[in-house]
Amino acid sequence: MKIANSKVTAERLVRDALEKAEHFSDYHIFNYLNKDGAIARAREIDAKIKRGEKVGRLAGVPYALKDNFLSPEGGTTASAHILEEFTSPITATSIAKLEAEGAIMIGRTNLDAFAHGSSTENSYFGPTLNAFDKTRVAGGSSGGSAVAVALDIVEFATGTDTGGSIRQPASFNGIYGLKPTYGCISRYGVVAMASSTDCIGFFTKTPDDMDLLMSIASGQDPKDLTTLPDYYNNDDSNNLDTKSDDSRLDNASNSLSETVSREGYDPSEVSEARDDGPERTRSKIKNCRIGLVKDFDNESVDSEIREALKAKAELLKSKGHEIIELDMPSLKYALAAYYIIVPAEVASNLSRYDGVRYGFRSKNSKDLDALYGNTRSEGFMAENKRRIMTGNFVLSSGFYDAYFLKAAKARTLIVKEYEKAFSKCDFILSPVSPNPAFKLGEKVSDPVAMYLEDMMSVSLNLAGVPGLTIPAGKNKAGLPLGLQLVGPRRSDKKLIEFSKELQENDQ
Amino acid sequence: MKYIPTVGIECHVQLSTKTKLFSEVDNDARGKEPNSCVSPVDYALPGMLPRLNGEAIKYAIRAGRAMNCTINNHSRFDRKHYFYPDSPKGYQITQFYEPIIGAGYVELPSGTKIRIEHAHLEGDAAKLTHFDDYSLVDLNRVDTPLIEIVSMPDIHTARDAYDYCKELWRLMTFANVSYGDLYNGNMRFDVNISLAPEGSKKLGTRAEIKNLNSFRAVERVIEYEVSRQTKILEKGEKVVQETRGWNDATGKTTGQRSKEEAKDYRYMPEPDIPPINLTDEFIEAELAKLPLMPTDYRQLFSKSIKEDIIEVLLDYPQLMQKLAEMAGVLPDISRLGPRPSGPSTGGRPRPKGRSPRADGANSRAAALRNAPSRELSATPAVNLIANLFTSVLLAEEKSAEYLNDLPTTKDLTELAEMNEKKELSSTATKEVFLGLFDPQMKNRGTRTIAKELGLIQENDLGALEKIVDAVLAKPETKKAQKDFKAGQEKVIGFLVGQVMKESKGKANPSSVQEILRKKLS
Amino acid sequence: MKIKREDILHLSELSNFTLSESEIESLSGNLSDIIKYISQLDELDVEGIPPTYQVFEMENVWRDDEILEQDASRDELLALTKESRDNQIKVPKVL
Repeated sequence: MKIANSKVTAERLVRDALEKAEHFSDYHIFNYLNKDGAIARAREIDAKIKRGEKVGRLAGVPYALKDNFLSPEGGTTASAHILEEFTSPITATSIAKLEAEGAIMIGRTNLDAFAHGSSTENSYFGPTLNAFDKTRVAGGSSGGSAVAVALDIVEFATGTDTGGSIRQPASFNGIYGLKPTYGCISRYGVVAMASSTDCIGFFTKTPDDMDLLMSIASGQDPKDLTTLPDYYNNDDSNNLDTKSDDSRLDNASNSLSETVSREGYDPSEVSEARDDGPERTRSKIKNCRIGLVKDFDNESVDSEIREALKAKAELLKSKGHEIIELDMPSLKYALAAYYIIVPAEVASNLSRYDGVRYGFRSKNSKDLDALYGNTRSEGFMAENKRRIMTGNFVLSSGFYDAYFLKAAKARTLIVKEYEKAFSKCDFILSPVSPNPAFKLGEKVSDPVAMYLEDMMSVSLNLAGVPGLTIPAGKNKAGLPLGLQLVGPRRSDKKLIEFSKELQENDQ
Repeated sequence: MKYIPTVGIECHVQLSTKTKLFSEVDNDARGKEPNSCVSPVDYALPGMLPRLNGEAIKYAIRAGRAMNCTINNHSRFDRKHYFYPDSPKGYQITQFYEPIIGAGYVELPSGTKIRIEHAHLEGDAAKLTHFDDYSLVDLNRVDTPLIEIVSMPDIHTARDAYDYCKELWRLMTFANVSYGDLYNGNMRFDVNISLAPEGSKKLGTRAEIKNLNSFRAVERVIEYEVSRQTKILEKGEKVVQETRGWNDATGKTTGQRSKEEAKDYRYMPEPDIPPINLTDEFIEAELAKLPLMPTDYRQLFSKSIKEDIIEVLLDYPQLMQKLAEMAGVLPDISRLGPRPSGPSTGGRPRPKGRSPRADGANSRAAALRNAPSRELSATPAVNLIANLFTSVLLAEEKSAEYLNDLPTTKDLTELAEMNEKKELSSTATKEVFLGLFDPQMKNRGTRTIAKELGLIQENDLGALEKIVDAVLAKPETKKAQKDFKAGQEKVIGFLVGQVMKESKGKANPSSVQEILRKKLS
Repeated sequence: MKIKREDILHLSELSNFTLSESEIESLSGNLSDIIKYISQLDELDVEGIPPTYQVFEMENVWRDDEILEQDASRDELLALTKESRDNQIKVPKVL
């Protein structure tokens, strides 16, 4: 990615990004543009560079922030009316880490309100349009972030993935999207959806950029008791061979030399930058065993996606990797278990939005009951209400055992299913979603149809394992196709490294 | 028909940790401005996560053992959902499915055992102040650590209920897990009462009275409810299951419009806090810090101090500890700073920081190792000081501040010795005892104070004989001498009086009498 | 299972919503579909399987009992509420 230095200023990078953001305003990507703030920060960094002071690994790199991360720059709305008037006094741990390295937030991106959705149509501010077809959805819930990267407005964008909210929009827009291992990146300061499955992740144009961001954002945080000690940068078992440390160094020097050779913004160069990624660092990973999930190979999945999957499998074989088939029967129940556990945690986590301490408070609140009832009814979207009420149903007395407890037991089976699978193979390659980007309005009124979008993505969140969306070409209609590469817990670095194996002859 | 009351009590104990249960803010908001002890976590901003205070886990272990409860190796937290402005998150973090403290019992002074069903850790709620057309919310108390202690329905009289609550108070203060300041709500009691015909197996319909904050209130509530429910039952009517409010002024309970029956708390495992799995070693290490408990003191001093005096002193952990120091079962730590104060103490400032009683050196384990036996042999010194504590110290109107700065064990022991050696009369002993608390004198040492007050008795027989001879030489005593020799016993008193006068009160009367008898025989 | 009108009203009370007639109408349909879908789990046998609430291998994660500077001050927090008085949050009367 392009980093500010003596040749190209941070202000130049930021102004280019802001120009592009305005140029693409009809896609409705941003809830907020951080014009003055971003330029001011860019100038600080340029001043440092002039003085020859040390700048961070992301010096002057413009990025887009999903609008459910807390920071004082712009209000944090989560694309929901109930938070429309909320500006956070605190900064999310992950954002603090990125900005300490010099990254510059140029805008807050649109999402399904409270990340409830798979299309970004459930936003209080209206839908975001697909980067390749304005009549189609961006995917969701992190739709705005995906499109911001796909249209080369920014070098990277943040996202959250509770059941596919990074991986599916990444596949709908032809870019990389990572849902890390549960507990890899702090959730502190990110609007909670479902605490036991929420993951912070990123959208990028190359695996190397993803690796850089992960090495910066991962690690234990005393403000989030469910964060793991930093294995991403420390645990050698992440590296498939001893040389990968050198390769990391190569990446760094390469991306720097790249920026030296560049002067400001030129679209051709950016697309080139995306394609020449693999050339820079050839993966040294050999003889892996890759599993394909039989249970996903049926009519419920779009035929062109299944073809793309087979093509990638062939590519891997040609590189000396072994392809095996996996039976994972309990994944069939993942979606049902997910739509019990997640709404329960959603209902609980959204109890704090009551109009008392912050955010929207209904004008019609003459007494306390009215304040609660009207604020929450006017402040939440229809899909928020569906999930809250479903959650309260599965938790309510008389139904807890039959629904919530049973789903928690089903979750155990799914965790075991993945452990078994990874005793047989290194990675799993599967579709992300049953279809490419669908038409705006096609599913928005039918919740269950929308939920089925998540059929193949949610099991990763229930098991806490990492998944990386990789671009897999386009279909005949010219829509991007994506696949997800899945690994065991804490294999994030290997996963990113191995994804390069799927890149070559990908033009 | 005779009705038997059955009472269950849920007691909420505020723990005296430095910080709250889920954030690093001051846990002692007394005298501080509203919302000045509030973190973004307590305020329940979006994206905030609980940060568990490990000390609260350790306190729970000590509190549990103080009630003879099993400590569960495995426990975790759950969410209890309800909407009210005293609950910023919209749920309370508690332990519903797997609490840290298991079954146990509390033994009352009467010997009655009240079983504990379980006890669990949870966060306290915010304080609301209601006005005519609005309410104000102060979040200072949000997520102050609480232990909720749930009793079995073993209580059948108002008196037992009183004793149970008081004994819980003693256990929590002696275990050093709570300041035990009832006036400021450190302990609150929810009482449920039902009546059933004598001999009947099943319990009657219960009424619940919440948030009582004194032992006496608990006792009065039960007395009132028993008579109220008895009247209803005798009329052949039914008791309604409801929550009733207690009015301390009128001494009556009244029904409250409440949605209780509609409540569905939708308990759910807390996904933001990893489970607690304690090793036996970890638990034992914490129990090694448990100080002497009331039952220990009752045993240790059974031969030295009268029962009723022990029971009075058990309301003042620091006095009991001082006596244990005198008896040599605890090291003298009287200068290590103040300790919690008695149960009836009003808004008196609380001691800051941890009391040394929880630091292990003077732990229960160590003390019982020092004790020659669980029942120490009679020690007059301890008995004397115990009596001075109850009859003199606690009678002082300044006793409250005195309690937080007791004399050294050395000074008290010397006082007892001087009294023993008759160097101080019982009145003089009391005066010197008070001198030990007097800011002007306290640090000078017992003997110096006694000297300065001119209270040391003349025991030098040689000197006394001279005075006696002088008195006997006086003509006005001749008749008395003759009468005494003639067998009139009581005149000895007159003669002793004369000698005392001559000695300006310094003489020790009994020695004087001794000498007189020798000389007149 | 079919979701009846009173079920929706009960759930909306638990959720603290004041729903319009049309919302009650549409939500009844939606929730019936959703609950029908998640009821698939009925066919799954979980006899003797322990539940999983967290996919996180750590336990006993707690902090020291020390007072620390917080990320936001009282004034910053109270500034977020619609109505405050005497440094307290003001809410309408509780019926």
